[in-house]
Amino acid sequence: MSATEGRQGHGPTNVRAYKSIQLWMDVVNRMYHLSEEEWRGRLHVVQEFCKFEGKDPDEIIAEARGDRAEKIDYMRRLKRFVKTLTANPTVAHDYENIIRSFFINNGARVVTKPYSDVYNRTQ
Amino acid sequence: MEFLEAVGKRRSVRWFKTWEQVPREKIQRILEVVRLTTCPGNLQPWRVVVVERDKIDPKERDQLLACDNWQGAHAQAPVWIYFYADPEGARPETFATRTKELIDVGALPAAFGWSSQAIDSAIFHNETMPAGMPAINELLHGLPYEMSANVAYAETVGACAVATLAAVNEGLGACLHMIAAPSKQEEVKRLLGVPDSFVPVWQLLIGYPAEDPDAGGMRPRLPFEQIFCHEKWGRPFTRNEHVVEELEAEGLKQPTGEPKPNRFDELKYLARMFGYPV
Repeated sequence: MSATEGRQGHGPTNVRAYKSIQLWMDVVNRMYHLSEEEWRGRLHVVQEFCKFEGKDPDEIIAEARGDRAEKIDYMRRLKRFVKTLTANPTVAHDYENIIRSFFINNGARVVTKPYSDVYNRTQ
Repeated sequence: MEFLEAVGKRRSVRWFKTWEQVPREKIQRILEVVRLTTCPGNLQPWRVVVVERDKIDPKERDQLLACDNWQGAHAQAPVWIYFYADPEGARPETFATRTKELIDVGALPAAFGWSSQAIDSAIFHNETMPAGMPAINELLHGLPYEMSANVAYAETVGACAVATLAAVNEGLGACLHMIAAPSKQEEVKRLLGVPDSFVPVWQLLIGYPAEDPDAGGMRPRLPFEQIFCHEKWGRPFTRNEHVVEELEAEGLKQPTGEPKPNRFDELKYLARMFGYPV
């Protein structure tokens, strides 16, 4: 099956078939060795983001790498997207980070920030 | 802490305990060391602004962070020490004043030809210095302002290196960092109230390390022989392995070229703790 054959509606069903996903998983696993369970959760978020965008992972990366304004727009929409998944700001931040990691490891440079409560912690 | 131990233990720490403040006394101790840093002509052209991250307006804090692209270590470190170089601190007139002070305290001896008159005649009248004296007329007479900025910059870099070791000596993590993106340097000057003429050098981020203070181990370094030559360039300075072993025993660790075991597990944990992508 080709990567694009699995699309349902506006999003792909088998995101693992895409080059950008394979590169992401390969680079991250080389350093951090994430479990299969964790990858399943991450890939689900990417899949939902693709559905939200109406594009496949490779298309998203090609656009984000090709045009700075496009990449910034993606990051703006990412903030809206995660709010459709959760109302919890910490969980939303974690979901954003999954997409940011996907972008970063595919060569699309994005700004990263810590949790917003990082300055108010007591430990 | 012994000197060799401080040099050997120093790492650029990039993960800080955001919740643990640095006592003001420790900050002052670092600044006191910087004040005594070596510099030619005793120029002391460094000018420093200390920012305690949690004591400034959060809006201003975020502006400073945004100017530096929200770099991770900057966002986490509780103290930001901004180093600027003042070109006025390296003008010929300043050099004349400072070197005369050095004569007055007996640092620059008349035995070598130093005198207030010699300094004035070289710097202001371009008179050649006699044998035994540095050719300060060539260096300083009519020195362009841009060159003063270069001198001030170079000397301030040296002060930054000393400040970094002083922070390690205080048991802190430290990382020398760019002040801001080049396009944002003017904005940082405005936020800090720094004069336009000051040249941005580095900022020293300090705090208690959230990562192992060894930060993954000694960084790779260029081979000794590639850097140091004897008598002529291209003739490597011969390295005595016994000396290397001796220094290592005294605290000057040697690079392995490899990260420490579990370094990437540590990075994963830190990224998750602070909310950065993995």
